[in-house]
Amino acid sequence: MLYRTAGQFKTSYAADHALFPVRQDAWLLGVILLFAFVIFPLTASEFTFKALLTPVLVYSLAALGLNILTGYAGQLSLGTGAFMGVGAYACFKLITIFPEMNVLVAILLSGFFSAAVGVAFGLPSLRIKGFYLAIATLAAQFFLVWLFEKWAWLCNYASSGSIQVPTVEMFGTPVFGPNALAIVQYYCVLGIVTLITIAAINITRGRIGRMWKAVRDMDIAAELVGINLMKAKLSAFAVSSYVVGVSGALFVFLWRGAAEPVAFDIGLSFRVLFIAIIGGLGSVLGNFLGAILIVALPVVINTLPASLGLPISSAMVEHLNTMIVGALIIAILVIEPHGLARFWQIIREKLIMWPFPH
Amino acid sequence: MKRLRTNFLLPAALAAACMLSVAPAIAEDSVSLPNLSYRTGPFAATGIPLMNGQRDYMMMLNERDGGVNGVKLGYEECETGYSTEKGVECYEKTKATGIITQPWSTGITLQVLPKSNVDKIPILAPGYGFSPMADGKVFHWAFNMPASYWDGASMILNNISDGNLDNLKGKKIVLLHLDHPYGKEPIPLLEVLAEKHGFELLPIPVGLKEMQNQSAQWLQIRRERPDFVVMWGWGAMNAGALTEAAKTKFPMDKFVGIWWAGHDGDMKSVGEAGKGYRSISWSVPVSDSPVMQDIKKYVLDPKKAEIGEGEFDWVFYQRGVLISMFTVEGIKAAQEHFDTKVVTAEQLRWGLENLKIDDAKLAEIGMTGMIAPFSTSCADHAGHAGGWMLEWDGAKFVKVSDLLQADQSVIEPLVEAEAKKYAEANAPWPVNEDCKM
Repeated sequence: MLYRTAGQFKTSYAADHALFPVRQDAWLLGVILLFAFVIFPLTASEFTFKALLTPVLVYSLAALGLNILTGYAGQLSLGTGAFMGVGAYACFKLITIFPEMNVLVAILLSGFFSAAVGVAFGLPSLRIKGFYLAIATLAAQFFLVWLFEKWAWLCNYASSGSIQVPTVEMFGTPVFGPNALAIVQYYCVLGIVTLITIAAINITRGRIGRMWKAVRDMDIAAELVGINLMKAKLSAFAVSSYVVGVSGALFVFLWRGAAEPVAFDIGLSFRVLFIAIIGGLGSVLGNFLGAILIVALPVVINTLPASLGLPISSAMVEHLNTMIVGALIIAILVIEPHGLARFWQIIREKLIMWPFPH
Repeated sequence: MKRLRTNFLLPAALAAACMLSVAPAIAEDSVSLPNLSYRTGPFAATGIPLMNGQRDYMMMLNERDGGVNGVKLGYEECETGYSTEKGVECYEKTKATGIITQPWSTGITLQVLPKSNVDKIPILAPGYGFSPMADGKVFHWAFNMPASYWDGASMILNNISDGNLDNLKGKKIVLLHLDHPYGKEPIPLLEVLAEKHGFELLPIPVGLKEMQNQSAQWLQIRRERPDFVVMWGWGAMNAGALTEAAKTKFPMDKFVGIWWAGHDGDMKSVGEAGKGYRSISWSVPVSDSPVMQDIKKYVLDPKKAEIGEGEFDWVFYQRGVLISMFTVEGIKAAQEHFDTKVVTAEQLRWGLENLKIDDAKLAEIGMTGMIAPFSTSCADHAGHAGGWMLEWDGAKFVKVSDLLQADQSVIEPLVEAEAKKYAEANAPWPVNEDCKM
């Protein structure tokens, strides 16, 4: 009914391989973009921006970065949190050394620093695979967080040892810092996330993406058909770390406003990894679904008892929250081990058949 | 692509919108006092008695006096579990109605500090946070009364040197600290003092992950043979350090902690072995004081709230009571000055800046002996109250010293310099120009 494909004929290969082979998909995305760009900003309160919309986008971007590496190229990484940290510290140094630099440029440039670090720590992937590689990236995680703590130059010798975001303006409007409006920061985050998502879709659907997928599925076979493993793996590390680094800069500069080195601890890496796994490895959509489940759902659950007028203490809600979200994660993975993205795919296929399944 | 986002985000946004519109309209005669509590997570054991104490004092006032001058105290908790991320969420959630915020972790304090200038909400960080916050001219909206970490460090040194820091000449002092902004707080001051008085300072950091296993640190301490070990510990680190100290037979009378390293709950697991360990404290538990007896009578006995067994006598529970007292006295001062009942955030800021906690006041509110008298001003947001040494006798903490005072002649220039540095790094930073002190 809603998803009737009758009458949509493909007359060329290009049409068959289009991003939206079914017209309704394009409409749905259009509606979502309309919500994201127009309706949410018009209706949301500051709390909604700060606690729901912005964090979901930032985490989606981080998971997208990890997904490029783990989901598309098959290289397991536990260093995401630290790579986000590299992006954040790089952005901090850029805007304090070059105060006249445009903030968006600074954010996009900071990704290159984490890309370089990512490639350096990706070198072991040329020899080791799977869980062994995960341990190597774990070393990056611990080393980098240690470095953030010990190298006082990184935070400009602040006595608190953490990054404090100064107020920075772009075209006369404050974008960074305490004076920036939540809606301005939301639009910046949304713009960058949209841009990188479009790029990621195109990269993963093209030649490079297929190269990564071949390496993921069987690296020896990939090598035999002429894929340069070094190039494939290191490019995956570079692109992934770039995206993760940008998300780290957004994480601190357009959302939290301050960050101590512990903020980039292993817990953050796991959180992003869970988003990628629950959303679905090897998909772009999954990162957004996963982030909604892991980041936004607990916030919504936290506000429910108060809005319904239930007299439950805040600590109790927190305990319930952990239980509910935990149970949901297990349930979802039992029902669909390939994550939420695959879940949506199945629903969509059923919808196309409906109401006459054969 | 983001196809499914509508399906999830729309209800999310609706729920959030509901929450904001349905939130109970603040009745005329109550004030909302949010507290970003941590009763869950890795530091819950220390958080619970502190939060219980704060809650019970407000509850007692509501039960006994019907609030403060007829205004009910709407104490509300928002659980953070000590996570900075939840801290942002809680701050955003409570800032619309709350007239104060209590961030309760250094990470959350750092995030909230710059925003308080914009949102105009006072931050109360009693005895923690950033030591330079004592400079009220720069940190217009932040308060860390009754004493900053630098005050604590100075008091400890005054005590172990028998009142004359020159006695420490040639001695070696180890600072065993959590490797975290909190643990590094005293280092700038101690470095200045070490140079001035000729003692050797050796900071030994304990990482967050090695709190429970400090054998490496204590091996180093044994090798270095320091004259004193000063500890800036938190949560599980305290019990870990005490256990190791007992194991390596380090003399307990040479081992002193800051006020957050003097928690009965942590010491219970060490028991007899920790006998002789001391901790500086700006609060002393006095269980038979009128205020504590009233809490028992109006809150605990009628089972309006529950606390753990024995918790009533703990240092941290009664410290929680004192923390709520600061807020309440701030409200009282503001009510009087502005001749109003329901104070706003801005009025409360004035109240906190003009606290006069003298002996007469303490007697009036039934807290004699629980805290040293102090007062705040627009330039001094810490109050710099004195403190006492509390000694663990194997079962509880007992007061073993006279009132100790910090040496302000060293602390003041440092506060001023560090506050200036912070303001410059975060320019444009608004400074309170009206304060002429």
